[in-house]
Amino acid sequence: MNEEIRAMQAAMERGGYIAEPAIATAVFLAKEMKKPLLVEGEAGVGKTEIAKVLAKVLATELIRLQCYEGLDTNTALYEWNYQRQLLRLKIAEREGRDPGKLEELIFGREYLLERPLLRAITRREGPAVLLIDEIDRADDGFEAFLLEVLSDFQITIPELGTIRAEHAPLVVLTSNRTREIGDALRRRCLYLYIEHPDLEKELRILHGKVPGVSEHLARAVSRFVQKLRGRDLRKLPGVAETIDWAQALVRLHRDRLDAETVRDTLGCLLKDEQDLKKTGEDAVAELLAYASAKD
Amino acid sequence: MVSGAPGMVEQLADFSGAMRTHGIRVGLGDEIDAATALTHLDLLDRHELHRGLRIAFKVLPDAWPTFDRLFEEYWGGTVAPRRTVPKQALPRDHRGPLQWQWDGQRVHLAALDGPEAPSGEVPGYSPEAVLRRKPFDQLSASELAAMERLLARLAIRLATRKSRRLIPTRGRGVVDLRRSFRRALGTEGEFLGLARRARALEEPSLVVLYDTSGSMDSYTRLLLAFAFALRRVMKRVEIFAFNTTLNRITGVIAPARIAQTLERIAAGVPDWSGGTRIGACLAEFVADYKEMMISRHTTVVLVSDGLDHGDTDLLVRSMRDLRERARTIIWLNPLLGDPRYRPAAAGMQAALPFVDHFGPAHNLESLEGLLKFVA
Repeated sequence: MNEEIRAMQAAMERGGYIAEPAIATAVFLAKEMKKPLLVEGEAGVGKTEIAKVLAKVLATELIRLQCYEGLDTNTALYEWNYQRQLLRLKIAEREGRDPGKLEELIFGREYLLERPLLRAITRREGPAVLLIDEIDRADDGFEAFLLEVLSDFQITIPELGTIRAEHAPLVVLTSNRTREIGDALRRRCLYLYIEHPDLEKELRILHGKVPGVSEHLARAVSRFVQKLRGRDLRKLPGVAETIDWAQALVRLHRDRLDAETVRDTLGCLLKDEQDLKKTGEDAVAELLAYASAKD
Repeated sequence: MVSGAPGMVEQLADFSGAMRTHGIRVGLGDEIDAATALTHLDLLDRHELHRGLRIAFKVLPDAWPTFDRLFEEYWGGTVAPRRTVPKQALPRDHRGPLQWQWDGQRVHLAALDGPEAPSGEVPGYSPEAVLRRKPFDQLSASELAAMERLLARLAIRLATRKSRRLIPTRGRGVVDLRRSFRRALGTEGEFLGLARRARALEEPSLVVLYDTSGSMDSYTRLLLAFAFALRRVMKRVEIFAFNTTLNRITGVIAPARIAQTLERIAAGVPDWSGGTRIGACLAEFVADYKEMMISRHTTVVLVSDGLDHGDTDLLVRSMRDLRERARTIIWLNPLLGDPRYRPAAAGMQAALPFVDHFGPAHNLESLEGLLKFVA
């Protein structure tokens, strides 16, 4: 393995993220090739975490843009500070300023409210990590706009002119695949698909994220969840759910899994009424048998 | 760009070609990305090479098995690259154009020069109003042509809806401060009028699932004609036909003429005009396409008489899954056009609680009723 990729993996692990080689490779390539990284995978597999830990590893700022339906450039890019502009106009009026000069007066950088995208490219202290979260929720139109920003990292504000990136940010996009991301955007990025972790990885994540969990409990919990993911459920529990569950168990001072404990806390793992109903006593007993087996 | 690795770029090009042949979409940009990635990777580590190329070529998880196989073939160093024959194009239809025909009992398609060409039928003028109420299964050949035009018009109206995105408007809407300010500057800082923004028109996305079983025969073809009209005016429409199996027919429909397309579909869909297993087909749809096609914007239109030969539990489960995700579910049942009909079929009963709009689909007027649910 490339030494630098190994180093990236180790650094991410120190930052609290257990990265398998595929993830470390993707992050490393994105950084070296200066391309955005599109991360897809089911809910709760740790897509957003990648950006967070990356900011930590690079010791830089994480700038986050949460996408939603109807997100527009006012919220993503910039907005004028209207209150200040109004105030300035009034003052100018009192002073009897030349009306022709008004425009220059109020469309300056100090009246500009920077939203995430603009902030990410104007950051002076070095490249930031820009997280564009759940891009699949935004409209197609916004995706097209994003494509433009990501291709040359410059933004044109009619009143101010074009602002070029001081340092191109490292961009991480995440998607839950609720809709297909446009081909054009995907082609502009590097692509990483994260699957649910295997037993060993999940165990290590638990030890890292849940202080006070015993080896015995962590193993039982991981095995239980691994087996649970094999069932026909509508929403499979992700690592985030496993962590929640382990935390709940530690908090309840349970050191081993039994039918009663599982029944009381299953809501940490399964967040769908149908799935809960489907995982009845028999199913739990079967899962428990697997979880507590030696290997 | 790639140094110290003679032949590497050629090998990459071969590999890209093979991926294309096997249906993985690879563009020139992806090849360049992959070549760049090679310079950052440890080429002696096969696993790293594999991971890196998969990332740089942007391979979606569904294509992983194919990718892995080709990777073994081209980078495994054991087998010499060999090319496979590309898929053959669909055979051309050499017969003459087909037309809608009415044999006194039902509508069907026939070649123009065939023996059962229409005889004695006077292509006449059909007043629209009459046509709009006339059940599809009672249309004459000439009325069918007129109906297709009406359906196309309806499709255009269906194809627009209001978005949540705001765009400038002259009429009512929320105040747009940014533009208001710009305007005020033109009038020496006085706000003479406020600029406003309102919701943009947006194309809805539509998924249409057609029951093509025998009990639906006399309606299917016209309703499909409607779907073709939709396909022409909307970008985001997906069309499926189902009876005992589910078939995605969106791709088949695209450029051809309705009649020929219908023939091709009928040939491609097993059990056309056979029995129905609605539940199983919906379950298949949910499993394979839900994630990709159904979003909060999507209207799902099911066209079926609900006469199910399959598992009702499965139907209920699939309906619930769709319900959770889609914006609206519309169930069109041609039998509703008959005033004596009651939705008593077990499948129909089971599905009703999950349906937003349950309506007839036996004539044009009933289809127009769709407008308010989609827009």
